[in-house]
Amino acid sequence: MASASYEMEEARRMKQVRLASVLAAATAALLGIGACSSSTNATSSPGAIGGSVTLWGVWQGAEQQAFAAALQPFESETGITVDYTGKGNAIHTALQSAIQGGSPPDVSLLPDPGTVLTLAKQGTIKDLTGIVGNLSSNYGPAWNQLITSNGKLYGVWFRGANKNTIWYNPAEFAAAGITSPPTTWEQLIQDAGTIKAAGIPPFSLCTDIGWPVADFWQNTYLKTAGAAKYNALSTHDIKWTDPTVTTAFTTLRQVIGQPSLLYGGIQGSLSNDWPVCVDRVFPKPGAQPQAAMVFEGDYVVGEVKGNSVNYAPGTTASGGAACTADPSKTPCYNFFDFPAPAANSANSGAVQGAGDVAVLLKNTPQAEALIKYLAGPQGGAIWAHLGGFTSPNNKVPVTAYPDPVTQGDAKALVNATAFVYSLDDLVGTWEPDIFKAMLDFVRDPSDSSIASIEATLDQKATLATGH
Amino acid sequence: MARRTGSPLTFLSARPRRTRAVDGGNGLGRGWRIHLGSFAFLAPGLVWLLTIAVYPLVATIRNSFYDSTSTNYVGITNYRAVFSTASILVTFRNNVIWVLVFPFLVTFVGLGYAVLAERIRWSTAFKTVVFMPIVFSATASGLVWRTIFDLDPHVGIVNATIQTASSWVDPPGLYPIDTSAGQSVAALASTGVVAGPSDSLQTASTVQAGDVAELGLTGMRPAALQLAGAEKAVVPDPFLGSVSGLVWRDFSPSNPSAKGQVLADEDGIPGLRLSLIRSDGSIAGSTTTDKHGGFRFDRVGGGRFRVQIDARNFGSGFTGIFWLGTRSLTPTNGLNQTAQAILSVPLVDLSMIVAYLWIWAGFAMVVIGAGLAALDREVLEAARIDGASEWQMFRRVTMPMLSPVLVVVLMTMLISVLKIFDIILNMAPGSSQEDANTLALGMYNYGFTGLGDWGLASAIAVILLILVIPAMAFNLRRIRG
Repeated sequence: MASASYEMEEARRMKQVRLASVLAAATAALLGIGACSSSTNATSSPGAIGGSVTLWGVWQGAEQQAFAAALQPFESETGITVDYTGKGNAIHTALQSAIQGGSPPDVSLLPDPGTVLTLAKQGTIKDLTGIVGNLSSNYGPAWNQLITSNGKLYGVWFRGANKNTIWYNPAEFAAAGITSPPTTWEQLIQDAGTIKAAGIPPFSLCTDIGWPVADFWQNTYLKTAGAAKYNALSTHDIKWTDPTVTTAFTTLRQVIGQPSLLYGGIQGSLSNDWPVCVDRVFPKPGAQPQAAMVFEGDYVVGEVKGNSVNYAPGTTASGGAACTADPSKTPCYNFFDFPAPAANSANSGAVQGAGDVAVLLKNTPQAEALIKYLAGPQGGAIWAHLGGFTSPNNKVPVTAYPDPVTQGDAKALVNATAFVYSLDDLVGTWEPDIFKAMLDFVRDPSDSSIASIEATLDQKATLATGH
Repeated sequence: MARRTGSPLTFLSARPRRTRAVDGGNGLGRGWRIHLGSFAFLAPGLVWLLTIAVYPLVATIRNSFYDSTSTNYVGITNYRAVFSTASILVTFRNNVIWVLVFPFLVTFVGLGYAVLAERIRWSTAFKTVVFMPIVFSATASGLVWRTIFDLDPHVGIVNATIQTASSWVDPPGLYPIDTSAGQSVAALASTGVVAGPSDSLQTASTVQAGDVAELGLTGMRPAALQLAGAEKAVVPDPFLGSVSGLVWRDFSPSNPSAKGQVLADEDGIPGLRLSLIRSDGSIAGSTTTDKHGGFRFDRVGGGRFRVQIDARNFGSGFTGIFWLGTRSLTPTNGLNQTAQAILSVPLVDLSMIVAYLWIWAGFAMVVIGAGLAALDREVLEAARIDGASEWQMFRRVTMPMLSPVLVVVLMTMLISVLKIFDIILNMAPGSSQEDANTLALGMYNYGFTGLGDWGLASAIAVILLILVIPAMAFNLRRIRG
């Protein structure tokens, strides 16, 4: 969970920069979208109820304001006052204390499905199957699966994050003569070679405490072994010494094991904290890009936009101008889907991601109404329009997103043929060991090192799962 | 300083004695009434103490015997985990390094500053500057020092200084290739070029007078070419009696897969220093490429030659030491994970100690300086009259008289270092956090980030408490005595 909270929190901090400016226009946007989405969604109008509901989530600051805008129609339609508290990174600790102290909030948004299942097992959160009803079809089965226990649905997703994205600087790709981004892993490696031949380091590798490398590896595993094996690995039904694990390491080694493909080599990568690694590809005005692409989830956009509002989504800058490497002129940003090796093309539609899920702790009519509202598309559409937000809800119209890049990102998330949660977020308390192992892999990607990393991870998994 | 703090505490400790005397003289009844009265006055403080010190202490000790959510009793499992997990052993090791190095270092430096400050003219200004860092938050200091020690010499001033100094001895080339970052000169060879001796490049085949050599290089940074004023590559005409040719960027953005011929959108590589090498290895001539990448060695005479692109074109000079990295200063090869965790001394620890020294040296200086000022001048004068040298006076008179103050500084710093937290969180880059971790930070990480294992975090907290108690007791006893 640390990774989810780290990533989301960092992403949040970055997005605040952007949202602060966007929110100036929030009121105007609200009127427009509010009208538009209430016409598309008539099912979740529970009528006036009144009273109030307490709600906890992680969002604070500008994100909290955007979320408040998303809740506005609910409050005005039902007359229910939503008493929201943003708990930030401390949400797990805060909720645990509140449950023990006997005064939990009515509804809480959690950044990981692992906690949802733990709370479900404890019996502290309510079965939503009857309350949500047909609204559960607003999510792909893979999403609902993550928060279902013993056939009962325990949450509704509100926000999603897509980690199936590699972000590139279109100007740098153009300088290397690459006109269309790679669609297979092999093409990615080939393009990286071309970019290197053009004299540009292809990748800026994010390392930080290890979570970005873990995300990178997890994507590689998902694309080489598939979603079924991925989920089996997360529950330790596949051993960490399995050949599929080795394959993922050796595949990823084609990038991480090639220092000449990484900006700054291994040492430079190890000093690459989030979000500095993003700045190397999408620098602030006054600096030049030092690498062509960076892998991380769609929260990269918050950092890019924070570096300069000049960054335009897509491959043409505003007014049809050509993308420039110089961020003070007309820079651009774009992404391509994390590619699968040609031999594993069946896995190319699988997406690794994360999200925030709402759970019910007290059965009050107000809380149930809020759950139904969050399961509907109305709130998500408002926040989507404000930017910095993707919804896993397939009823949120693609047109709600402000630009083609975000639209593509959201489409990929909703249409994923398989959706898996970040593995490190699913394993529980030994998550830091995965981070450490991934940094060890960056430091030494040799066969013997991989073997010892696998043995260590398997030992930890055995300790944690008991099998 | 010590004397001044001593007096109010003596007064405090005198109070119970007086109460006892009253008690003994006037019987139980009145004693109890007095007690009740004092309890009434003590109650707010007592409640406060119970709530914020005693209860959390008891709860932490209890939790350390419970599982991650403090619901099930698990015995000493958490304590066993503390001593068997490599990543927690690392926190012990780091605390040991800090405790062994820092308090003595800061006392020593503080003493040096204090003695120095007594003897220089701008003493107040000097003291102000040295003392100033203590005013900044450790978080800000950590971030500043992280920048100071940054790997990139364009950012980190330490590496920038070394780079500047080393560039006098070993100046970098026009097209630096950073071999420490995985780049290699040999990888630049694209067309008609092969790796030569010691990081140089040579023509793949030999040439003779009247030939035109074409040397294609790949992986040349466009920014470096632009800076050198590169223009479109032009193949020079053959010249009688001379070896001519060009070195060009064998990469066409419009046709990235085309290699080997000079295309319209390819630039020459200017400023390259070339040598003409005879078959016996001696140098027949040297020249530099022009902005189109062209070159010519005139009047070369007979025989066959190789054109060499000298290694000095690609020298990267000093590219930075990863001060905040985890490279161990003690040899750890061949050790298992646990032994490594206990025995390695990562470079990042020492860098952080330097930063922490910068913060606390001023405090040590001020305390020791006050101690120096309070020294009995008569003793010093007596020593001087007896003919003691400066060093003898310092060693035999000043130091013994100053030792109580030095011990206070030492102990205060010891406690501060046992609890060290914020400088590590803010100064060590993500990839070094695990190796720079200390008990206090580990307690936070295990307890409050991610899922939160309260049991393990509580166990670490209890151990930390046990470690701090001797230092605390020692300090209290000194102050009281």
